[in-house]
Amino acid sequence: MITSTHPPAADPESKLRPSRYGIALAVSALVIVALIASSILNYVFLDTVPGRTSLYGLLAVALITLGTFILVRAYNRDRATRRVHLIRAAVLIGIGVLLWLLVIDVFLYTQSAGPGVAAVCALACLPTTAFGLWVVRRMDRNHKEPWRLVLVAAAWGAIVATSLVVWGETVWESSAQHTLVPGPGLDTSLAFMAGILEELAKGLAVLLLFLVMRNEFDDVVDGIVYGAAVGLGFNFLESISYMTNLYSIFSPEGFGGVAAGIQWYGRQVLGLFFGHATYTAYIGAGVGIARQLPTMRMKVMAIGAGFIIAIAGHFSWDAWATFFPIQNTLFGLVEIHLRTLIMTGPFTAGLIALLLFGIRYEGQNLLDQMQKEAATGQGAILPQEVPILASPWQRLRQRLQALNRAGPSGYLRVSRLQTAQLDLAMERWHRERKEIDTPLEAEQQLREKVIQLRHWVAA
Amino acid sequence: MGSVTDIQLRTLYRTLLVFATVGVVILAIGLIQFAYFERPGQASGVKANIVGVYKYDPAAGQTTGPDRAEYARNEEFAAVVDWSSIPSNLTVDARWYDSFGSIEGEVGPGTPAGLTNDKVVPVQVPPGYHFVLPGRYTFVVERLQDGVPVEVLGRRFVLVDRT
Repeated sequence: MITSTHPPAADPESKLRPSRYGIALAVSALVIVALIASSILNYVFLDTVPGRTSLYGLLAVALITLGTFILVRAYNRDRATRRVHLIRAAVLIGIGVLLWLLVIDVFLYTQSAGPGVAAVCALACLPTTAFGLWVVRRMDRNHKEPWRLVLVAAAWGAIVATSLVVWGETVWESSAQHTLVPGPGLDTSLAFMAGILEELAKGLAVLLLFLVMRNEFDDVVDGIVYGAAVGLGFNFLESISYMTNLYSIFSPEGFGGVAAGIQWYGRQVLGLFFGHATYTAYIGAGVGIARQLPTMRMKVMAIGAGFIIAIAGHFSWDAWATFFPIQNTLFGLVEIHLRTLIMTGPFTAGLIALLLFGIRYEGQNLLDQMQKEAATGQGAILPQEVPILASPWQRLRQRLQALNRAGPSGYLRVSRLQTAQLDLAMERWHRERKEIDTPLEAEQQLREKVIQLRHWVAA
Repeated sequence: MGSVTDIQLRTLYRTLLVFATVGVVILAIGLIQFAYFERPGQASGVKANIVGVYKYDPAAGQTTGPDRAEYARNEEFAAVVDWSSIPSNLTVDARWYDSFGSIEGEVGPGTPAGLTNDKVVPVQVPPGYHFVLPGRYTFVVERLQDGVPVEVLGRRFVLVDRT
C-alpha cells in the first residue's frame, strides 16, 4: 500500500511564496471586483440578454472559481485531508456548472434559439474540444500535465474569461458604433477590442494558474499547454454562442442548421487549434519562459511579449480576414481553408517552433538530471533506466510490456513509476536552477516515493 | 550544463521577443489603418436631419406610421432624410448597415441637392431571403472625401426582433 503523497509544497521560510501568493490574491481580487462591477453595470445600464446573464451567472462563476482553487490546492495536502478538499471542490464545481448551464439556457440561448438547440450545439462542441485538450496535453512529451489542471484551465477559459469580457466588449462596441464611421475604421476598432480584451481575460487565467500552481508550471512547454487549454475552453463557449445566435437568425429562412453547422466547422474543426488556442498559448509560452528567467525585467518582458503576440494574432484575424477574397462558388470552400492557413498559420507555426524547441530543451535537461540522479546510487533512477525514461516511445514500450505481463494494473503501476521518476528529475532541475521554493526534504520524499513505487511494481 | 541551459533559455526568450516585435508591427499597421479610415480633424460640425425611421411599403415606395426604433422581422422600414439640412458643397451618402456590418441599402454618393428625390432610404431584404435579418441596424448619413466616408453627419439605430 502506497501511503506517500506529494511533498509539501511550501517552504515556510521561502521568500518567494508570500509575494507570489500576494500577487495571485491581488489579481484574483481584481478579477472578482471586475466581474461584480461588470455584471452590475451590465444589468443596470445595458439591460441586454448577455448583460442579464452576467449578473445571474455571477454566483456560478464564483462557485466554479472557488471550487477549482480548492481542487488544485487539494493535491498539495496530505492524503488524509485531501479527500475532504476534493469532495468540497467537486460539490462547488458541480453546483456552479449546473447553475451556469441553467443561466445560459434560460437567459441567453433560450431567448436566442431555445434550450434544445443550445444543448445540441454544446454536445456538438464537446467531442472536438475534448479532442483538442487531449492533443494539447499529449504535446508535452516529457512530463505530462495533470488532467485536473488542464481541465481547470479550460473551465476558466470557458466561464471566467468569457464572463470578464462581456462588459468591456459591450461598452467598447457600443461607444464605437455611436462615434465611428461604419466600415473599415469601425471594424479595425472592434478587432482591437477583441484582441485586447479577450486575450487579457484569457491571459489572466494563465497567469493565475502560474501564480497558484507554480510547481506544476515548469517551463515554456507547460505554459503552451495551459495557455492552449484556456483558449480551447474559451473557444468552446464562444462556439456555442455563435452557433445558437446564427441558428436563431437564419432558421426562419430555412437554413438555421446549416448556418450553425458552418460555424461549428469553422470554430471547432478548422479553427480548433488555429485560433484562440494558438493566441493564448503564446501568453502561456511567455509565462513559461518567464518562470525560468533570472531577472524581474526579463520576466516582465517575456510575459509582455506573450501578451503582445496573442493580441496581434487575434487582431490580425479579426481585422483582415474579411480582406481575403472568398468567392461564392465551390472554390470558396478551398479559399476558406486557405484563409485560415495563410492568416493564422504563421502564428501557429511560430508556436510549434517554440514548442519543439521547448520540448528539446526540457528533454535534454531532464536527461541530464536523470543521469545525475542515477550517479548518486540512491536507487530512485537506475543507470539502465535513463535511456528509457528519456524517450517517450521507450517509456510507452515499457508500459506496454507491463500490460502484456500483468494487465492494465501493471501498465498503470509502471506509468506511475515513470511519472514519479520524471517528477524527481524535474524537481532536481528546478532546484539546480534555484527556481523552486519547496524544501530539500521534498526532493527526498519524491525519491522515497519512487523507491516505494518500484517495490510496488516489482511485487 | 547550466550554461547550455542558459543559452537555450536565452534562445527561447529572444525568439519570443522577435515574435513580439512582429506583433508590434502588426498592431502599428492596425493603428495606421484605423487612422486612415477614421481620419482625425474631420469634424465639420454639420448635422444631418434624419426625420425618422418608418414602416415602409416597397410596392408603393412610401413610408407609413410613426417614427419607431424597433421593428418585427417581417416588417420593412426606411429612414427619411432631410437633405436640405446639409450644406450643398458637401459630397454625402446614406447607408443602412446590418449587425454583421454589411450594407443593406444606400443612396448616393452625391450632393445634397442631387439626392433630394432620394429622401426615403429603405432597408433591402437580402436577395434570396424572405425577411430582413434580425439584429441591430445602423443608419448613417456620411460625408465623403476622395470617395472615402470620413464623417458621420447623422446616425440612427433600429432593432429588428428575432420573432
